[in-house]
Amino acid sequence: MKHSVNRPTTPDEDVADAYEKDELTLRESINTKMVESGEKENLMELVRDRLVECGWKDEMRIACREHVKKKGRKDVTVDELIRVITPKGRASVPDSVKEELLNRIQNFIVSAAP
Amino acid sequence: MCLEDSMSGAEDDRSSHAQLSSQVFLDLVDSVIADVASECHRIARLGLDRDLEVVEEELRLSVEARAKVADPSNNLETNSKYVVDIFGQTHPPVASEVFNCMNCGRQIVAGRFAPHLEKCMGKGRKARAKATRSTTAAQNRNSRRSPNQRYSPHPNLGSENQLASEDCSNGTVRENGKGE
Repeated sequence: MKHSVNRPTTPDEDVADAYEKDELTLRESINTKMVESGEKENLMELVRDRLVECGWKDEMRIACREHVKKKGRKDVTVDELIRVITPKGRASVPDSVKEELLNRIQNFIVSAAP
Repeated sequence: MCLEDSMSGAEDDRSSHAQLSSQVFLDLVDSVIADVASECHRIARLGLDRDLEVVEEELRLSVEARAKVADPSNNLETNSKYVVDIFGQTHPPVASEVFNCMNCGRQIVAGRFAPHLEKCMGKGRKARAKATRSTTAAQNRNSRRSPNQRYSPHPNLGSENQLASEDCSNGTVRENGKGE
C-alpha cells in the first residue's frame, strides 16, 4: 500500500493528550516486544480464528460486496472498502472475543512491562 | 516520569494498561479489517466472484427443479407413459431404433440391446455357462460371413473355423431363440 489509510479516529486517541508521548513510546515498546516474542503473531491468529468462528468475517464480506455492487466492481478501491467497513467491523466484534483478547493482551503487558 | 508513576499508584497503572491493551486490540481488529477489505477488493476487481454467482444461481435452479419434480400436484405428466424432456419432446420408455448386434449380427431394438448383450456375450448376471459356447460360435460365424478376412486374427485357420461353427451353429440358434 502506497499511502496510509484514512480511518475514523479511535475513541481513546484524544482522551489522554498529555500522556500522548509517553503512551506512544510505551505502545511502541510493547509492540516491539510483542512482535519479537511472537505473541503478536499468536494474537493475530487467535483474533482471526475467533472472528471467522462467530461469523464476523462473513458479515464484513457481505458489507464489502454490497459496497462493490453500489460502486461498480471496477471503480472500487481498497482504501474505500476499509473506510466503509471499519466502523461496522470495530463495533460488531462480539464481547466474548473482545474480552478474551483483552485479557491476553493485558497479561502480556503486565508480564512484559513490570 | 518515575516520580509521577510512583505517585499515581497502581490504579492509574492498571487503567493505562487497560487503555494500552484496548489500543493493541483495536490495531489487531483493524488489520483483520484491512485483510478482509483487500481480499474482497481483489475478488471484485478480478471478477472471481462472478463464477460464484453463476454457481449459486445454478444451485438455486436445481433445488427448484428438484422441488418441482418431487411435488405430487405436478406429476400429471410423469404419470403418463410418455415423459416430456427439457426440449418438450416425448420419448418412449424403450428406444425403438433397430440395429444389428455387432456380436451375433441379429437385428435388435435399441432399448433391448443391453439384456440381449448379456445373453449374447455370456457376461451378464443371467448368462449361463452354455452361453459362452454360443458366443464363440457367433464369433466364428461372423468371421466366416465377413467377406474381408483381414480382421480375422488367424486367416489361415479359416477352414477350421468354418468346421467349428458348423458344429454348433444349430445349438446357437436354438439357444438364442429360447432366450428372446
